[in-house]
Amino acid sequence: MVSSDPNTLLRAFLWRKKWAYAVSTLAIVVSEMVMVQFPNLIGKFTDALGKGRLDMTGVVHDAGWLALVGVGYVALYGVGQFRNGQIGREFEYELRRQLFLHWENLHTGYFRKRSVGDLLNHAMNDVRAVREAMSGGLNILTNAVFLLLTTLWMTLRTISVPLTLASMVPLLFLPFFIIWWGPQIRLASRRVQEALSEMADLSEESLSSIKVIKTTGNEDVEVGRFTSKVDRIVDQQMAMFRKSTLFQSFIPLMGSLSFAIALLYGGYLTATHQIELGMFVAFTLYLAMIITPLQQIGFVINNFQRASASMGRLRTLFGEQPAIADRVDASSLPRPTGELRVDLPSFTYPDATEKTLHHLRFHLDAGQTLGIVGRTGAGKTTLVNLLPRIFEPPAKSVFLDGVDVLDIRLSDLRGAIAYVPQDGFLFSAKVGENIGFGKLTPSVGEIETAARDAAIYEEIMAFGQKFETEIGERGIALSGGQKQRTAMARALIKEAAVLILDDSLSAVDMVTEKQIIERLRELRHGKTTVIVAHRLSAVRHANQIVVLEKGQIVERGTHAELLDRNGIYASMWRLQSEGGDRP
Amino acid sequence: MTSQGRFRSLWRLLPYAKPFWFHFAVVFALVVVYNATNVLQPYLVKIAIDRDIAIAHPNERGLLMIGVVYIGIVVLGVFANIIQMLVLQFAGQSVIRQVRIDLFSHIEHQSMDFFDTNAIGRLVTNISSDTETVSQFFTQFFLSMIRDGLSIVMIVAAMFELDVTIAAECMIVIPVIFLISLFFRERLRDAYQSTRTKLSSVVAFLAENLAGMRIIQIFHQERQQADRFETLNESHRHANVHEYGVSVMFNRVLDLLGNLAVAAVVFVGGGAVLHHAILFGTLYAFISYIRQFFQPINSITQQWNTLQSSIVSADRIGKVLMVAASVQDPLSPHALEHVQGRIEFRHVDFHYHAEEPILKDVSFVIEPGQLVGFVGATGAGKSTIMSLLTRQYDPVGGIILIDGVDLRDLSLAELHRHIGMVQQDLQLFTGTIADNIRLFRAEIDDAAIERAARAVGIHGLVESLPNGYHTWLYAKGANLSMGERQLLSFARMVALNPKVLILDEATASLDSQTEQMVQNGLHTLTAARTTLIIAHRLATVHHADVIYVLDHGQIVEHGNHDELRKRQGVYARLYEHAGVEVLA
Repeated sequence: MVSSDPNTLLRAFLWRKKWAYAVSTLAIVVSEMVMVQFPNLIGKFTDALGKGRLDMTGVVHDAGWLALVGVGYVALYGVGQFRNGQIGREFEYELRRQLFLHWENLHTGYFRKRSVGDLLNHAMNDVRAVREAMSGGLNILTNAVFLLLTTLWMTLRTISVPLTLASMVPLLFLPFFIIWWGPQIRLASRRVQEALSEMADLSEESLSSIKVIKTTGNEDVEVGRFTSKVDRIVDQQMAMFRKSTLFQSFIPLMGSLSFAIALLYGGYLTATHQIELGMFVAFTLYLAMIITPLQQIGFVINNFQRASASMGRLRTLFGEQPAIADRVDASSLPRPTGELRVDLPSFTYPDATEKTLHHLRFHLDAGQTLGIVGRTGAGKTTLVNLLPRIFEPPAKSVFLDGVDVLDIRLSDLRGAIAYVPQDGFLFSAKVGENIGFGKLTPSVGEIETAARDAAIYEEIMAFGQKFETEIGERGIALSGGQKQRTAMARALIKEAAVLILDDSLSAVDMVTEKQIIERLRELRHGKTTVIVAHRLSAVRHANQIVVLEKGQIVERGTHAELLDRNGIYASMWRLQSEGGDRP
Repeated sequence: MTSQGRFRSLWRLLPYAKPFWFHFAVVFALVVVYNATNVLQPYLVKIAIDRDIAIAHPNERGLLMIGVVYIGIVVLGVFANIIQMLVLQFAGQSVIRQVRIDLFSHIEHQSMDFFDTNAIGRLVTNISSDTETVSQFFTQFFLSMIRDGLSIVMIVAAMFELDVTIAAECMIVIPVIFLISLFFRERLRDAYQSTRTKLSSVVAFLAENLAGMRIIQIFHQERQQADRFETLNESHRHANVHEYGVSVMFNRVLDLLGNLAVAAVVFVGGGAVLHHAILFGTLYAFISYIRQFFQPINSITQQWNTLQSSIVSADRIGKVLMVAASVQDPLSPHALEHVQGRIEFRHVDFHYHAEEPILKDVSFVIEPGQLVGFVGATGAGKSTIMSLLTRQYDPVGGIILIDGVDLRDLSLAELHRHIGMVQQDLQLFTGTIADNIRLFRAEIDDAAIERAARAVGIHGLVESLPNGYHTWLYAKGANLSMGERQLLSFARMVALNPKVLILDEATASLDSQTEQMVQNGLHTLTAARTTLIIAHRLATVHHADVIYVLDHGQIVEHGNHDELRKRQGVYARLYEHAGVEVLA
C-alpha cells in the first residue's frame, strides 16, 4: 500500500536526490563566488586606470577576465537553476502519481463527501505550489543567501568594514518589515481568494439552476447578485494591493537608502583618500548586485508559506486511510459459484449516525435471481454495494460461497461480481473500450456480443465510427438510456458469477427493458443475478423478491406469493398498473 | 490558429479598457517619472565621481548636495511607483469586473441549447479563472510593456547624452537580442503549448476518474487506470521539464549577453578613458547603464508566459461572448394584456438532428383554466413540448400561440412572466427561504411571500423553523425534505403568479402525510391557471380535463381518462404495462 505522508514522501525524495541537490547547490554557490569577482575586477581596473598604470593590453586583459567571469557565472548558475527546476518537477510528477494511487485505494464514501473540483484543486494547485517552492523558490533563496554572504565577505575583506556596516543599516529593517507586514498581505490575499470563490460558487449555483432562471425570466436578478460578488472582489483586491504595493516599494526604498549612504559616506572616504576610487566603484556595484535578490526574498517567503499550507492540505488528503483493503490473511476464491448469504444485524455509513440497514437476512442459491424493490432511500443501493465491498460491511455479515466477503481477496471478490450502476457512468474513451473495460484483452467478438445482449448494438453501429466512436467530452453524448445499456454491456462481458443491476434500466423505455430482461434470463441461466429496480416489471421473474422499507425487509417471496399476500408489494404493483385490474 | 488570430481575441477585449483611458494615461505619466528617477541615479553618481570625488581637492558640499538630490529622486520615484501601481490595479480590476459581469450576463441570457453543449464547470472556469488570467494582461503585461519599454528608451537616451560614440557601439546588443529572441520565440511557444495541452489531459483524466472511481474499483481496474495516468503524467513532466529548460536557456543566454556587454564596455570605455576621450565617471555610468539595460529586457521576456496564457484565456472568453442566443427577442415585441392562458400548438415539428425527429406534426389547443396531462414513455416528447412552450428552443416547423399570439412575437421576459414551470427537483439557491420563494426579486415583498406560503400550506412549517422565513438554505446541502422542496417550489409559483403553469411531476417518494400536503398545494396552485402536467403516475392525471398520449413524438390519442381506457389503444396498453409509471 502506498498512502504515505507527503512529508515522508518529500524526505524520501530529497534523500534520493541528495547528490543531485548537492551538485545544483554547489553549482549555484560557486556561481556566486564567481559573480562577486565582477565588481572586484571593475574596482581594480578603475584603480589601475586612475593611477595611469594601465595600457591597452591591460584593458584587453581586464575585459577578457570580465567576459570569462560572465561566462562562468551564467554556465554554473544555469546548470544549478535548471537542475533544481527539473528535480522540483520530478517531485511534482511523483506527488501526483502517489496521490492518484492513494485515491484508487479509498472507498466510495470518501468521493461522495468530496467534490471532484475540490480534489482536483489539490492535485493540481497544491502540488504545483510545492513544486514552485522547490524549483523557483529554492533557486532564488539559494541565490539570495549565498550572494549576500559572498558579497558581505568580499566587501568586508576587500573594501571597508565601516562603509559596509553603515550601508547595511537600512537593509537591517527588511527582515522585521517582512515579518510584520507579510502576514497582513497574506490575510488580505486570503480575503481575495474567498471573494473569488464566492463568485465561482454563485456562478456554479446559478448555471446549475439555469432552467429555473430562464423559465422565470430571472436572468437580470441573477446578474445583479453576481455583480455584488464581483464588486466585493474589486474591493478586496484593492485592499490587498494597497498593502502589497507598500511592501513592494519598501524594499527597493531601503536598497536605495543603502546606496545613498554608500554614495555619501563612500564618496567622502574616497575624496579624503581613505579608500581608493576603485573600492568605491566596486562597492556601489556590489550593492546594485544584491538589491534584486533582496527584493525577491518577500516573494520567496510567500512562496514557501503557500507551499507549506499546500503540504498541510496534501497531508490531510494522504492521511485518509484506505477503508477497504485486503486482509493479510485474505483467501482466494478461484472458482466462485455465486451463492450469497446476508446476515446483517445493521449497517451504518462511516460518516453517519443513523443506521441505514437493520436485521437483513436472506440467502440466495448459486444461479438464482434476486429482486430488490422499495422506495427511494429504502436502502436498496446500500445493500447491493456491500457485496463488492464498495462500502465495507460489518464482519461476518455478507458471504459469497460461504466465505465472509471481508476475507476474500478484493481482486477475486470483484472479479466474481459484475455491476451496472444506475447513472451508467462511462469514461471518455471509445465506446468499444468502455464495453471492454473490465477485461484485460477483450476480443472484438466479445464486445459485439455484449453490445447485442444489452440491446445497444444497432445504435452503436449507427454511430460514425461504430465501436471506435469516442464518447464523452471529446466525442458524442449518449442519452441516459444509451449510457445505461453500454454500462450493461460492460458488465455482461465479464461473465461474472454474480451480476448486480442497481436500478440500471431506469432510463430505458419499457419495450427495450423487457427485451433486455428476457435476454438476461437466458444469459444468466445458472448464474446469480441481483436486480434492484423501481419498475416491478424488471423483477417479476426473480426466484426471490425482497421489499425493503426504511432499511428493513418487510416482505419477501416470489411475484405470485407477494401478490397473494396483498401487502406493500401488491399495492405497489397496483399503483404501477393503475387500478389493479391485472390478473 | 495563427498568432495574429490569437492576438485578435485579446484585442477584442480592449474596448473594455476604453472608459479607463484617463487612468492608463496617468499610469503612463507616472511610469515616465519613475523611470526618469531610475535613469538619473547613475548619472548623479557620475557627476559625484567626476566633480566631487575623483579630484585633487574633494568637494564635500557638492557631494552632500548630490546625496540629498539622490535621496530626493529616490523618494519621488517610490511615490510615483506606488500611485502608479494602485491606479493601474484599479483600472485593471475595473476592466475585469466589467468583463466578468458581461460574460456572466451573456451566459445567463443564452438559450437552453447552449447549456446542453457547454459544461457548467467549464463556464464557471471562464467566468472565474480565465478572467483572472486576462486581468494579468492589463496589469502585469501592460505595465511591463510601458515601464520596461520606456526604461529601455530612456537608458538609450541617457547613453547617447553621455557619449555618442560609445553609445552607438553599445547599440550592437540590440540586433543580437533581437536574433536571440527570434531563435527562442517559437521554441518557447511550442514548449509552452505542449505543456499546457498535456496538463489539461492530466486534469481531464483526473476529473473523470475521480468521478468514476467506484467503477474502477468494482471492475478492479486500478492498475490499468494507474498505468494510463502514468503515461499522461509522465508525458506532462517531460514537456514541463523541457519547457523549463528552454526558458532557463533563454534567460541565461540573455544574461550572458549582458555580462559580455559589460566586458565590452570596459574594453571600449577603458580605451576611451586612456585616450582621455571621456572621464572615468562617464565609463562608470556606462557600466551601470548597460547593466540596467538588461533588466527591462529580462522583465519583458518574463511576461511571455503571461501573454500566452492571457491569449488562451481571452480566446476562450471570446468564444463564449461570440455565441448569439439561438432564441432571440423580436425587434418589436408584442405586448400581451389580460392574459387568458389559451395555448395552441399548430403542426409543430422539432428535432436536434434532422434524422432524429423528436416531435412530428403536433397540434392541440388548451383552453384557459384547463388542466391537461401529457403521458407517454421516456423520450416520447413530453418534456420537449414544455421546452418549446417556454421557448427554450424554437420549433423547427409549425407555430405555437399563447392567446393567439405567436410566441416568437413576444419578448422572452414577457413570455416568462406568464408561463411558470415547476421542475422535478426544485433548485434551491444559497439564501433564505424568503429569497428562494421570491427568487431574490425586490418587488415581491414579505407579505406576498407569506401569502404564497399560506396558499400552498407551507407557512406553518416555515414558521416552526428557528429563523422562520430567514432560515438559510444551501444549494446542495439539502436541509429540506423532498416534499418541503416541492411545496416551496409551489409557493414560488404562487408568488410569481403566472397564468400558465407547467408541472413536471416529481418521481421521488413522499410519505403519505407529505403527499397529502403536496396534493393540497397542487390543488391551490392549479386553480385558475392553465396547467400542463407531465405525468409519471397515471393517478395524477386521472381527473385531467384532457390527457394527451405521446408516442415517438406524435400525439396518438387524447381524451379524458375514461374515454381513453375504453378506447383500448396506447393509453390502455401503457396502463396494462404500468409503463409510464415510476413507482412512488
